[in-house]
Amino acid sequence: MSNTDAATRMDDELAPLVHACAARDRQALRKIYDLMAAQMLASMMRILRRRALAEEALQDVFVSIWQRAAQFEGARGSARIWLMAIARHRAIDVLRSERVDLYREADVEQMPEPAIEGISDWSSAGRSAAALARCFQELTGEQRRGIELAFVNGYSHADIARVTGEPLGTIKSWIRRGLASLRACLER
Amino acid sequence: MKHDQPQLIDALASEYVLGTLRGAARRRFERWQSEEWHIASRVRTWEARLIPLALGLPPIAPSQELWQRIEARIRAADASRTDTPPRRAARPALRALAAVLVLCALFAGGYVAWRMTESLRLQTVATIKGAQGPLVWSIELDSRGERLRAVALPGAAAQPGHSFELWALPPGKGAPVSLGLLPDAGQLERTLTVAQRAALASATQVAVSLEPPGGSPTGAPTGPVLFVAALKRA
Repeated sequence: MSNTDAATRMDDELAPLVHACAARDRQALRKIYDLMAAQMLASMMRILRRRALAEEALQDVFVSIWQRAAQFEGARGSARIWLMAIARHRAIDVLRSERVDLYREADVEQMPEPAIEGISDWSSAGRSAAALARCFQELTGEQRRGIELAFVNGYSHADIARVTGEPLGTIKSWIRRGLASLRACLER
Repeated sequence: MKHDQPQLIDALASEYVLGTLRGAARRRFERWQSEEWHIASRVRTWEARLIPLALGLPPIAPSQELWQRIEARIRAADASRTDTPPRRAARPALRALAAVLVLCALFAGGYVAWRMTESLRLQTVATIKGAQGPLVWSIELDSRGERLRAVALPGAAAQPGHSFELWALPPGKGAPVSLGLLPDAGQLERTLTVAQRAALASATQVAVSLEPPGGSPTGAPTGPVLFVAALKRA
């Protein structure tokens, strides 16, 4: 059985659980937690880089799933994507909130530099991930790096300008063009 | 900015999902998204395109007690939903009753909020200092014992290549429990885990050890113990 099938199976398993949450089934939320919390935390830790802060934000995410489960429309998309989107948006919101100021540099965990090529298991993320991996190869190195730092580490344009030493306008253009190329490639 | 330019909307949706749309622009875009389905649909499309990247990262297991904390918050959220008084009373008498109930709820809410800020107020539970030297750190705790703040005092000085780690010393022969790193300067605040809270509740002293950067790799003090201080009880 291929990993792509595994990704589809995971979606098939998650969608009814999200619907059960809408019907106030706490066991269903627990099952979603067992299936997804570690993956969500991985993405949130990359962005927030402090375990305590990321775990606090992950609590918010599950409360949010519980409250918004009725908004999930299974027919219109993957449950995994819906769940991960909530986690990522929450992490980005926390990143710019005052909560982050409570945690100082000393708490920051050393995370490896992002490298999309290095993501171990593309295929476990499903067919759409395989297409994305292929389209990433069509970007310039700079476009790829800008998008990696923004998406995986949650860096702002200014953060990327700082770590790469390039002017802000250049970074904005790398990312804008990179996203446009990705769209063109994915729509082919 | 215009709402009706498909290319612009698509570009904003892509930067929103990527995470580079920030601040007021992000808030504004979220509002549009909730009001207009075609904007929301561009966002869903970009989520489906980019989020697989986040699914390829190696998973990180959450702490043991995280699920209990989520469950407690969900119970609290559900309880407050069912406690909400009816929005519209049918008759004037009921309306008056509803008004009284709302006033009571406001007072109760104010009281709860006041109690919460009271319990969140931090109190100094230990002051760490050298034998003759100046004060080094002040350790503060809220009355529920959940949030700990360590404040670096004038005696704190960074030791290059090392971190300072705080430990709860249990009475008797139990093993010290790490309460996390101490700041070289400024202050550091964190939520304690259930295990840390339990250790701190039974401890009578705290200690500071010198550790490799990032703290003890073993979960027990590995470097020299530099300070021991008594814990004050409120």
